[in-house]
Amino acid sequence: MGAAGPRWSNALIVAWTAAVVLFLYIPSISGLLASLGASRYFNFPIAKWGLDWWGKTFAESEIRTLLSTSATIALIVTAISVAIAFFGALAFARYDWKGRSIYQKLVLLPIFFPQSVLGLALLLWFTALGIETSWQTAVFAHLIWVVPVATLVISIQVYGFDPALEEAAYDLGATRWQVLKEVTLPVLWPGLFSGALFAFLLSWGNFPLSLFTTGADQTVPEWMYAKMVAGYTPRVPVLGTVSTLGAAILLLGGYGLILLVRRARGGAN
Amino acid sequence: MVERPSILQLRQVTKQFGALTAVDHIDLDVAEGEFFTIVGPSGSGKTTLLRMLAGMESPSAGDILLKGRRINDVPANQRPTCMVFQSLALFPHRSVGQNIEFALKIRGVSPEERRARALFLMRQLRLPEDYYAKSVTKCSGGERQRVALARALAYDPQILFFDEPLSAIDYKLRKTLEKELKDIHRETGKTFMYITHSLEEAMVMSDRIGVMRGGRLVQVGTPHQIYTSPRDKFVSEFMGEVNLIEVRRGANGRVSAAAPAGEFSAPVLPAGFEHGHLVVRPEFMRFLGAAGEAENHLVGRLYNEYALGSRIQYQVRVGEHVFVLERLRQQPFAGHLDQEVLIGWDARDSILVGD
Repeated sequence: MGAAGPRWSNALIVAWTAAVVLFLYIPSISGLLASLGASRYFNFPIAKWGLDWWGKTFAESEIRTLLSTSATIALIVTAISVAIAFFGALAFARYDWKGRSIYQKLVLLPIFFPQSVLGLALLLWFTALGIETSWQTAVFAHLIWVVPVATLVISIQVYGFDPALEEAAYDLGATRWQVLKEVTLPVLWPGLFSGALFAFLLSWGNFPLSLFTTGADQTVPEWMYAKMVAGYTPRVPVLGTVSTLGAAILLLGGYGLILLVRRARGGAN
Repeated sequence: MVERPSILQLRQVTKQFGALTAVDHIDLDVAEGEFFTIVGPSGSGKTTLLRMLAGMESPSAGDILLKGRRINDVPANQRPTCMVFQSLALFPHRSVGQNIEFALKIRGVSPEERRARALFLMRQLRLPEDYYAKSVTKCSGGERQRVALARALAYDPQILFFDEPLSAIDYKLRKTLEKELKDIHRETGKTFMYITHSLEEAMVMSDRIGVMRGGRLVQVGTPHQIYTSPRDKFVSEFMGEVNLIEVRRGANGRVSAAAPAGEFSAPVLPAGFEHGHLVVRPEFMRFLGAAGEAENHLVGRLYNEYALGSRIQYQVRVGEHVFVLERLRQQPFAGHLDQEVLIGWDARDSILVGD
């Protein structure tokens, strides 16, 4: 025991943490490596390195269509889900009303539905109602899953919001609209921003819902899956890496932006 | 005090939440320029009452009149009143200056004029000028209080409401801020209406105090009136430590008690008095050399003593009944613990309260 105890346990903690991080990142790193080989098929160790496949990937119009479809869906999902989730979060965390507890559970339930079942169910409904599936129906499908998550993320910020702030602004002569514009939205802004990031990334990366609901349109994850089932090309790891890096940049950038704003406002929020 | 016209009048103001009556038929007149404090324990309805006056709740029944005009249905943002909240509710995303200027910005006052007004208020409230651009989240507790007060004053309200803004402040700073608030009241000449659960706080600042319990105003009076003639046991106890003896009407204008057993001289018994409490404040209870030195006396045992700064408090037990006596520090009682002592008081130093 004695002095050796803490040193051993520290070493164990470091080793364990490193193992967990490594485990989590091996797939992403493998994808990156696979995209950097020059050959048509992925062999390890990589015989010849090169960015050829990156160039080829982005030169193709099919892939540009994919990216634009995915981005369109994700942007629309983000805009709609943040608007719905903002008011949902106020009902979730801000106001005390009869039935709130049931509402809180009902709103979060869709997160736990198996997404492929949800996707299939939606497809059956679209067919039954005679709605032709396309990227627009995928937006609807994504919303069902993304809105609850965004509501939860924004609620965390709303829980820390002192309702007296709104009352104080109202008492100082502001109209309801001015209260929202001058106080509620600016104070809840970091939560709304986090909610938007989550919404965008969850929609961008979604496969099971898109698979059933995009119809003839195709998103990036769908295309990657299709290519992996039949006709592998190194364009798959290229797009995978782009998605992963894009998400990392968005999240880190968003985090940095929130930190900057907090610092400008002066410390704890 | 000079008679001043009423600025705020409450007529049978009542608020019900379902089956609960939070505020129960309150009548009250507050004079212009007055510092009026409502004191009550939590759940007494004082916050609900204040919120109705400020326009954040509407009364279930009764009328609220501001300078004779009924304002029941005027929303908070159109009432010429302003509230300082318990949490202060300073806007965390705004600087000290922006917080103070909020009401002026809403009114469309020009930036130069807003700034001049904010700086004037900051001077009045002893906030350094360079705090103008400082974030409110970086201010200390006392500074935040001043910013909240300045923000409310910038609205130029006819009445300022205070919802226990000092309750979360430590004792020493609170004592300073209480006095500052009274000074600001003097300087601005505005009507202040304050609520607190601390009668001590109310005593320091107020022109008049209203004691609330169970949604009703139990007693309204100057601090002196509340202190010297509390209307009932509740008010007398709320005022701080007191000696209470449960009594009933006795013979010859005296009262009789079961514990401690005895007959005592009391102030004049009100007509119809049957049962109540005899209240003797610790500073009026004395140690006696002989039984004849006071109109009432009891034999007890000195149980303990406590130093209270400028005073010393003694605990004397008469049977199971505990009495407290206070003397100035310079005149301590020369006795030892467990010693048998004679304590007493005169009828005129006691107060008789009904049930």
